[in-house]
Amino acid sequence: MARTADKLIPPGLAYIAENIHKSDNILGLPRQAKSKWAEGIEFSKDRSTIFFAGCGYQYSAMLEPLVNVIGTADKMAVNPDLPVHLANLPKKLGMDVAGIFSKTVAGDKGGESAVLRDAVKVLKALGLDIGYLGEHEPCCGAPLYHIGVRNKFSAHAGKSHHAFKEAGVKRIISIVPSCTYALKTLYSRSGVEHDIEVLHFTEVAADKVKSLKLKYPDRVKVAYHDPCQLGRYMGLIEQPRTILKSIENIELVETAWTSGEWATCCGGGGGFEVVFPDISRKLAAGRVAELAETGANIIATQCPGCLMQLKSGLKDLKNDKIEVIDLATLMARSLPG
Amino acid sequence: MTISKDYRKELRDAAGNERIRLALSRAIKSYRENTKNTLKKFPHTVRMAEEVLLIKEHSVQHMRELAEEASRAIEENKGKAYIADTAEQALEIIGGLVGSGKLIVKAKSMTAEEIELREHLEEAGNDVYETDLGEFIIQKLNSRPMHILSPAIHVPREDVAKLFSQITGKDLPPDIATLVATARQLLREKYFTADIGMSSANVVAADTGTLFLIENEGNIRLATGAPPIHIALIGMEKLVPTLEDAFKVAEVTWRYANYGIPSYVSLVSGPSKTGDIEKVTTYGAHGPKEFHVIFLDGGRTELAADPILRQVLYCLRCGGCLYECPVFGLTAGYFGDKYFAGIGAVWAAKVHKNLEKGSSMAYTCLTCGRCKVRCPMKIDVPEMILKLRNSIVEP
Repeated sequence: MARTADKLIPPGLAYIAENIHKSDNILGLPRQAKSKWAEGIEFSKDRSTIFFAGCGYQYSAMLEPLVNVIGTADKMAVNPDLPVHLANLPKKLGMDVAGIFSKTVAGDKGGESAVLRDAVKVLKALGLDIGYLGEHEPCCGAPLYHIGVRNKFSAHAGKSHHAFKEAGVKRIISIVPSCTYALKTLYSRSGVEHDIEVLHFTEVAADKVKSLKLKYPDRVKVAYHDPCQLGRYMGLIEQPRTILKSIENIELVETAWTSGEWATCCGGGGGFEVVFPDISRKLAAGRVAELAETGANIIATQCPGCLMQLKSGLKDLKNDKIEVIDLATLMARSLPG
Repeated sequence: MTISKDYRKELRDAAGNERIRLALSRAIKSYRENTKNTLKKFPHTVRMAEEVLLIKEHSVQHMRELAEEASRAIEENKGKAYIADTAEQALEIIGGLVGSGKLIVKAKSMTAEEIELREHLEEAGNDVYETDLGEFIIQKLNSRPMHILSPAIHVPREDVAKLFSQITGKDLPPDIATLVATARQLLREKYFTADIGMSSANVVAADTGTLFLIENEGNIRLATGAPPIHIALIGMEKLVPTLEDAFKVAEVTWRYANYGIPSYVSLVSGPSKTGDIEKVTTYGAHGPKEFHVIFLDGGRTELAADPILRQVLYCLRCGGCLYECPVFGLTAGYFGDKYFAGIGAVWAAKVHKNLEKGSSMAYTCLTCGRCKVRCPMKIDVPEMILKLRNSIVEP
C-alpha cells in the first residue's frame, strides 16, 4: 500500500483491506476456514448457478471482538491509529483472530454462519439446484472499493471474475448485501466485463415464495430493517416485505417515518463501526429504539453488519423482549415439517 | 493519523451530549412533518425540482460565462461586479471596498463562512454585526454554526437567555418571545447607523443580474436596504441563465428548506434610484447608493470538471440532507467544517483544501444514502464520498 494510503485510511479499514489483499477474506484467515459453515451440506456438482456466501456472516463472530477491541481502545482515549504494522493490529490490540475462530466454530457458535445454512435450506425448498465454490469462493473485494483503494479493487475484481468463469458460473445467488452490490454493479463499473447474472437471495425467494406454505411457529409482529445497500442501493424494498406478508402468523409492522428508502442506517455503514465504534453503537441503539416503537417481537433484517449492530443496540437498551434475526432464518423456521 | 485527534474527540463529545441529541431529534421530527405537509400542499414542487436539476446541471457547466453575463447586467444596472478566482482575491476586493472603522450589518451567508469574511473584516478594524438571529447568537457565543439554515440549532433557550442577560445586563427569562424581542432591540438601530450592509444570494439570474434573497426574519431586507452601501459575496454556482430559471430555483429552495412560504423574497438588481424630480435618474434614493457584487470561484470551476464531485455545486443549501443524516442527528455540525456532513466533506477537501478535515469527514460518512432520498437535486452523496476517499488515498 502506498505511503499516503497508509497514512490516510483509518487503521481498522486498512487492516481489512490488507487482509483481502493477502488472504482473500476480510479477517486474514486461512483459505480452508472459508467453507467450514457448509460442512455436511450437499451442493449440486453443477456450478452454473452458485450460492455466494461472502465473508460477513461466517466471520461476524470475529468481527465483533475486533470492533469491541477497537472500541475499548477508543473509549480509553487511546488513539486507535496505532503506529503498528497493520497486519499486527489485532495482536497489538490483544486479539487472537485464529484462536477465536477455532473456538467459535468448535463450539458451534460460528457467529451468524447459521444464517448461511438457513438460506441454503430455503433455496433448496424453493426447488433450486445450487452449487457452491467452497474454499475456492473468491472474496468480492467490496471493502476495497468503499475504503477508496479502487486500483486494488479493480485488480481484485478481475481476479475474482476470472475465478467465477473458470468454475463455469453463469448465475450467482448472493446473500451479503455489500457483496451482492459489488458483484452486481461495482465489477462492471471497474472495467471488468462481468457477464454473470447476479441476484440477491431475496429477489429469488420473493419470486418463488408463493410456491411454499410458510408458517412461523408462533404469532409474532415483525419489523423489517432495510439494510442500506439492499434498500437504497439496489432498490430491494418490496421483495422482503412480499416474503414476510406471505408467512402465516407474521404481522408486518413498519416504523412511522423510517422504513424502506427512508430506513435509518444501523450505524455500521461504510465501515463506520471500525472507525468510530462508540458512536456506531449509539446509532445502533437509536435505530433499535425506532424499530421497538412498532411493538414488534422480532426485528428481521438481511445483513451480517446490521445483525451485529442491532443486537448490540438491543443489549445497550437492555431490551430482552425483542429478537433480531435474519430473514433467511425466519424463513427457514417457517418451512413446513 | 487519518482521523485527527481533536476531531475524534469533538465528535465523541458531541455524540455524548444529551442536549444536542434532544434539540436535533425535535428539529428532525418537525422538519419531516413540515416538509411532508408543504409538499402535499404544493405537489408541483417535486416536478419543478427535476426541472431545477436540469437548470443547475447546465449552469454549473457554464459558471464563468454566466458570471460574466451577470456582471455585465449588474454594471448596466449601475452596480459594480467582480469575479474573484480565489478566496484571497475575494477578501482583497471586499477589504478594499470596506476599509476599516466601519459598522457593518451582515446577513447569514455560508459563502462568507467559507472565506471567513467576518473574521477578516474584524481584524481590519471593523465592527461587524450578524443580523440573522441564530447567527447573532453564534457570534456572541463565539461559537460556530451547526447547521446551514439554523446555525444555533444546538443551543437551547436557557442558554440564549443567559447570553442575552449578559449582553443587556438584565435578568432575562428563558422565554422565546422575550429573547426574540431583545435581539430585535439590540440590532434595530444598527441597520440605520451601519455604513455597509452585506449579504449573499440564494440564486442569481444572469440575464438581469438579479439576486434572490429568501428569508423569514426580515433582517436581510433591512441589512441590504437601509445602509448606503450593499456588498454581496456569492458563490459562482448560484448563477442560472434567466430570471425565469431563478424563480424556479428559489421556489424549490424555500420549499425544501422548510420555509413553506417565506415571509420575504427580495430581488435586488442594482443600487437604489429615483427619477421623480424632472426625470433625472439619481442613485441612492431610500436604499443603497452603491451596489457591489463579488462572484467567487474559489475552486468551483475545478470541481465542475469532475463528473461525480461536481454534484456538490447543484446543492441549493436547503439543509434537508442534514435532517436525514444519522451521524448529524447525534453530533450536529461537529460532523462538519464550513459545510456539514457528507456533502461538507467534499467542500472541506476540495474547496477549503483542508485535506485532514476532508478525509476525517469522508470516513465519518456512513454512505447510507438517506440524504440522497431527501435531496431535491438527488445529489448522490455516497457516490461522492467514495470518489473522495479514492481521490484522497489514490491521488
